[in-house]
Amino acid sequence: MVERSVTVPPGVGLHARPASLLVQAAAGASISVTVARPDGDPVNARSILALLGLDVRGGERVVLRADGPGAEETLDRIARVVTAMPPADG
Amino acid sequence: MSRPVLTVCAPVPGRARSLVDVPDPVFAAALVGPGVAVDPERGPLTARAPVSGRLATLRPHAYVVISDDERGVLVHLGIDTVQLAGAGFELLAAQGDRVVAGGPVIGWDAARIEAGGRSPVCPVVALDAAPEAVSRLAADGVVPAGTELFEWR
Repeated sequence: MVERSVTVPPGVGLHARPASLLVQAAAGASISVTVARPDGDPVNARSILALLGLDVRGGERVVLRADGPGAEETLDRIARVVTAMPPADG
Repeated sequence: MSRPVLTVCAPVPGRARSLVDVPDPVFAAALVGPGVAVDPERGPLTARAPVSGRLATLRPHAYVVISDDERGVLVHLGIDTVQLAGAGFELLAAQGDRVVAGGPVIGWDAARIEAGGRSPVCPVVALDAAPEAVSRLAADGVVPAGTELFEWR
């Protein structure tokens, strides 16, 4: 299992628009990816319902996990999507 | 055995619109999910639950109701309204509440949102639904609140 911890940029919450960007990135992977709060249960990164339910706010950390071929590259790519999310005011 | 059809109702009175007409590229491309938008009547409104279930996520400008068979419907009041940080929205329910379709969730004023330079159009989205699972019931035209908007198979 590969893990990446990534901080959601300040001013960005995992609300509808950024959550859908994360779902898109995860849907493009050939392996399953989960997202969790640092001490929380992982949720399927392809489920926008699950991501919205995490209620992640700007400045908070999430842990991405994946297993299998290409897991490192997949998580690197998804981590970049998260850190590049534009703020709501932008 | 297939599950029952979930009928999703208009959370606000107004006119039904295709998601492609929503002035936000992510909603318009159905990247949040398939569904239908409502262009609301301008003035003070009560945004209501589109289905019966649990109010799983509640923000001043958006909410998700999860039906008894675990399907989530998102109602997003206006576009870019997250920027308002709750100003102009009054919570009429609490996150975690059980709600019935048509029950009050948020009080807001679509005219005020528009006066602030934002679109008051409300996407109503079937989260994680396959596009073909959603069939629109309301043609473009007037929909009173509570009118059936789409079916989710």
